[in-house]
Amino acid sequence: MNEQISALIDDEIAIVDAAYLITMLQSSKQGAEAWSQYHLIGDAMRGDDNLSPNFKQNLMQKIDLEPTVLAPNATLGMLGEAFKMHHKVPASWSIAASVAAVMVVGWMALHQPTQVTSDLVADAQGEAVTSAIPAEYLLAHQTTAPSGSAYYIQTVSYSK
Amino acid sequence: MKYFIAACFLIGASLGAHATSDDDMWQALQKAAVAARALSYQGIFVCQSGKQSKSVQITHMFSDKGEFSRNVLLDGTPRQLLSQGSDLVIYNQKNEKVVIEKRHGQNMFPAVLPTNLESIRANYALRSGDIERIADRQAQIYLLESKDGLRYSYKLWVDSEYGLLLKSVLLNSHNEVIESISFNQVALMQVGGLDWFRPKIDSKKNYVMEDEVPTSANTGAINAWSIKELPAGYRKVDQMIRMVHGKTLPVTHVVFSDGMAYVSLFIEPVSLKSKASTKATQAVVGNTSYYMNVVDGYQVTVVGEVPEITAAQIGNAVIFNK
Repeated sequence: MNEQISALIDDEIAIVDAAYLITMLQSSKQGAEAWSQYHLIGDAMRGDDNLSPNFKQNLMQKIDLEPTVLAPNATLGMLGEAFKMHHKVPASWSIAASVAAVMVVGWMALHQPTQVTSDLVADAQGEAVTSAIPAEYLLAHQTTAPSGSAYYIQTVSYSK
Repeated sequence: MKYFIAACFLIGASLGAHATSDDDMWQALQKAAVAARALSYQGIFVCQSGKQSKSVQITHMFSDKGEFSRNVLLDGTPRQLLSQGSDLVIYNQKNEKVVIEKRHGQNMFPAVLPTNLESIRANYALRSGDIERIADRQAQIYLLESKDGLRYSYKLWVDSEYGLLLKSVLLNSHNEVIESISFNQVALMQVGGLDWFRPKIDSKKNYVMEDEVPTSANTGAINAWSIKELPAGYRKVDQMIRMVHGKTLPVTHVVFSDGMAYVSLFIEPVSLKSKASTKATQAVVGNTSYYMNVVDGYQVTVVGEVPEITAAQIGNAVIFNK
C-alpha cells in the first residue's frame, strides 16, 4: 500500500486509476500518515521548504491554547478547581505578562546601567528622610523582605 | 471548711478561666490571620510611617479560584499592587513610564499576621485591651508585646464580628508609634467575578520591567564566614548572592525573621579603593535600623525593621574563618 501511495505522489499512477487509493487515504489514519510523510520526504529531497503548509497556523493555534501560568504554586492546593483556574482566572495576569514581556524587549534596548546608578545617587541625595541609611541596602532589603508600610511608602527608588 | 472548698473552687475556676482566655486571645489572632486571607472585602486604609502617609484602596477576594487582591495608592505617585496568592506585581508610575516590579508578597496589611503563630507565640506576649470603634466597626484591641528588647511591639485592632484586622500599629521600646496602618472604611464584599482584577493601565505610557537584580541561590556551603549566635527568636529565612546597585562585586544577602519582623544582613569584601571608615556605624530612621562594620576585610551591613540592638547583634554575630 505504501508503495502505491509513493507512486501516486510521484505521478506514476494516473489519478483516475487511483480512486480507491484516495478513498483509502481518507478513511485510514495510517495511510494518511504515510501520505504526508512521503510528501515531506519528497520536499526534503527536492530541497523545498519542508514545513507543512499549515505549520504556522498550527503553531499559533497551539500557542494560543497554552495557558499563561504566572503562579503555578498557587494552584497546587486546589485539586478540583485547578484545571478551571488555568483557563479562566489568569486572563488578566496574561495581559499583565504580555504587556511586561513586550516592554522588557523595548526596555533592554533603551537601558543604560550608568543611568540607573546616577538616578540612585540623585535619589539618595534628594531623600533626606533616609540619608542615614545607604539607599542601595535599604532598597535591597525592601525588595527582598518588604513588610508593613514598605509596600506603599517608598523611601528609596533607583529608577525615576 | 465549706467556704475553703468554695474559695479553692473559685480560685481554680479563675485560674482556669485565665488559662483559656490566653488561648482564646491567640485563637482570636489566629482568626485574624485567616480572616485577612479568606474573607472578601474592600475598603480604604491609611498607611503612616515617619512623616509620610498614603491612602490605599484595597479589593480582596477569596473564592474557589484562589486569593486575589488589588491595592491602589490614592495619594501621590500612582502605584498599584496586584497579588494572586503570594505572587505580587507592582505597577509604579515614574514620570513618562510605568515600571513593573515582581515580588513575593508577605505580611501585607491586613494579613500582617502569619497563619502559623508558633514563632510569634515564642517571642511575643499577648494581652487584650479595650474595645474601640475603627472604620465604623467594633474592634477588640490586642497588644502583641516583645518579650525582650529585640523586636518591636504591635497594637492590633481586630473586628469583633468578622475577625478582620482593622488597624495595626508598630511601637518602639518607648511605646512610641513608629508605623500605623488603619482602615478608614471597610465592607465585606460578595464573591463574584474578577473584572476588577486588572491594573488600570494608561495605554499612552511606556511599560517597562524593573531592572531585575540578578541573584543566585547560595546554600552557604563555601562561606568564608559563619553566624555565631543570632538574637533570640530570629532564624534565617532566605539567603542569596546578589548584585547591589552601585557595587561592582556580588554581595551575600541573608534574611532573618522572628515571624513578624524582617532583617537583612549583607556581607561583601571591602574593595581596596574605598578606604572608608572601619568604625562601626549605626543609625535608626523611622522603623528601620542600620548597622555597618568592617571586620577582617569584609563589610557587614544590617538593615531591618528591628530595634538597633538587634541589628548590632546580628552584625556582630558574623565571624570570618581565617
